[in-house]
Amino acid sequence: MNSKTASQPIVVANAPASSSATRFSIGGLFRRPEAGAFLGLFGVFVFFIAFGSIDFLKPAGAASWLNVAANLGIVAFPIGLLMIAGELDISIGSMIPAGSMTVAIISGYYGLPIWLGIAATLGLGVVVGLVNGFLVVRTNVPSLIVTLGTLFAVAGLVLGLSVLLTGTTSVALKAPELAKFLFGQFVANTFQVIIFWWLALTAIYIYVIHYSPYGNWIFAMGGDKISARNAGIPTSRLTIVLFVLSATSAAFVGMCQAILFNSAQVSAGMSFIFNSIISVVVGGVLLTGGFGSIVGIFFGTITFAVVNQGIYFTTFDRNWSSLIIGVMLLLAVLMNNTFRSMALSYSPKKK
Amino acid sequence: MTRLTTMTRALAMTAAICLAASIAQAADIAVVGGKTDDAFWTKIKKGVDDSRLVVEANGGKVSYLQLQTYDNLGPDAAGLVRTAISQGVSGIVIPNWVPEAEDEAIKAAVDGGIKVILMNAGSLEKAKELGAINYVGSDEYIAGAAGGDYFGKNGQKNVLCVNTLPGSANQEARCKGVIDGVTKAGGAGKQLPLPATSFGDPTAIAEAVKATLSQDGTIDGVITIAAGDADAAASGIQQAGKVEAVKLGSFDFNEASLDRIKNGSQLFAIDQQPYLQSLLAVSLLASHIDFGTDLPVRPVLTGPGIVDASNIESTLAGVSKGAR
Repeated sequence: MNSKTASQPIVVANAPASSSATRFSIGGLFRRPEAGAFLGLFGVFVFFIAFGSIDFLKPAGAASWLNVAANLGIVAFPIGLLMIAGELDISIGSMIPAGSMTVAIISGYYGLPIWLGIAATLGLGVVVGLVNGFLVVRTNVPSLIVTLGTLFAVAGLVLGLSVLLTGTTSVALKAPELAKFLFGQFVANTFQVIIFWWLALTAIYIYVIHYSPYGNWIFAMGGDKISARNAGIPTSRLTIVLFVLSATSAAFVGMCQAILFNSAQVSAGMSFIFNSIISVVVGGVLLTGGFGSIVGIFFGTITFAVVNQGIYFTTFDRNWSSLIIGVMLLLAVLMNNTFRSMALSYSPKKK
Repeated sequence: MTRLTTMTRALAMTAAICLAASIAQAADIAVVGGKTDDAFWTKIKKGVDDSRLVVEANGGKVSYLQLQTYDNLGPDAAGLVRTAISQGVSGIVIPNWVPEAEDEAIKAAVDGGIKVILMNAGSLEKAKELGAINYVGSDEYIAGAAGGDYFGKNGQKNVLCVNTLPGSANQEARCKGVIDGVTKAGGAGKQLPLPATSFGDPTAIAEAVKATLSQDGTIDGVITIAAGDADAAASGIQQAGKVEAVKLGSFDFNEASLDRIKNGSQLFAIDQQPYLQSLLAVSLLASHIDFGTDLPVRPVLTGPGIVDASNIESTLAGVSKGAR
């Protein structure tokens, strides 16, 4: 079934021009969907180097934004894919604390083996993702509303169960060496190990989205869902898979946080909802779906992290941070949009 | 049949009459509070339950009226006051969370001859204005000042107050108190307001603390407005390689911060001791109603209680009993 559908012709609007890059050219490079995102990032770097200090690029300074970018990035990829496919998942805001509380309660409070806690955490992600996915596919209620419901439901469930089981809303966790090594340690005392997970996931996503048929399916869904289904793409199954991916990714990030900081709180992670959507949009994904790229989201996430953390390397009064973050992000998106429209309306000179 | 049962019946009747008589006179107190499914109100509830023993020993009773949600805080609390009035209670203990919504109901209770004590949220000025007999709770500014003073006395010269909720009156008062307290003790302090995009993201908070510490080498004390933020700040200090040089404090505590105080990687935590708030408020009110006592101490501050290495063991014991 899979091979058959893959071989059918699929009309993909605005898909990344990966196959057209047979001949290398600078102009071609700038017309790639991630070029705008890269330029946005470049502009932000120049700003903070000009107004901040060079410490910002030294290892300890770089870790400041890489750590934030890695945590955010792992969630931003599936959110970006959902947005490309025309859906949204905001339940990640409560899946992050759900992930950290699950591992902390099972392995911290009850002292059960950490692997059990990790398995339960990821399992919870899969379950919530399945619930989100099935509700969206079966009910046709907009995914924003469905995941808004699960956002609150999961938050309430975590609070209720946490108080019921442990009597508190904050649980400590002392993970064993190996789990710390894999999920929550500082490499060279400053780089969170999650950065490597993020880089590995980036490579996997790039392959799956841009070099396998699944990627084109997702773009086709965002372009026109009905046509995509008529063309034989299993849109329902794909939607459910994407929701499972985003809920599990969020639970994974929450779990890593709990292992790293040796503690989990019921109330955390809500800022990830907005932050991940911002990163994805800064990375060039259209809010209306059908357009974007993994590399773009990658750059968008770094841009957001740099803007968010760069302020601490400048001499600006910290009361202005939110203003600077807002203006910088808007400029990054504008730069990105300008380049995208230039790229899309470009036609090669006739020879 | 007969003699024994008659006697028992007579005895039972006398007892019932005595009981009825004592109920009519003894304190009947309603405590309005938050949902007991969060850690804070669970401790308040324990204070209510413990003080109830004394009140009941004198023939009175205490009931805990809790909010079902926090969505409509002020009006719901006012509604609970009216419920208490209609139940004919003789005393009410209530947090003055939303004065605009609650004041009218509290005044109605006072006008109806019910004795009122404000607890947890409010101030002495507010208590006087409404005709309440006292305010039992904490004062964020005083708590902050105690934290700043503790830093100063411990030798810290430059303290950073990490505020993850800039603009919120409570948190601003805490940080202002810290800065004023450490300044008075001969040091200096400043606030680090974090943007909303960092709220609830421990990595962003840790990195903000790390970056600030590496930009300003003179900072030797960090305090956070919440226990969870302290987990992140501890990581930031450790990443900056300044565990020895920079001391950490926090408002409120959780299991992880108590662990840090125990092993020496956190200097102290400031506790508003919620257990004392309800325990004292109910006891004072019952004693006032039953025996006409009047405590001249106004307001009654239950915090700041400082938890540090010197009292960590007894605090942990209190935690295990649900009072801390």
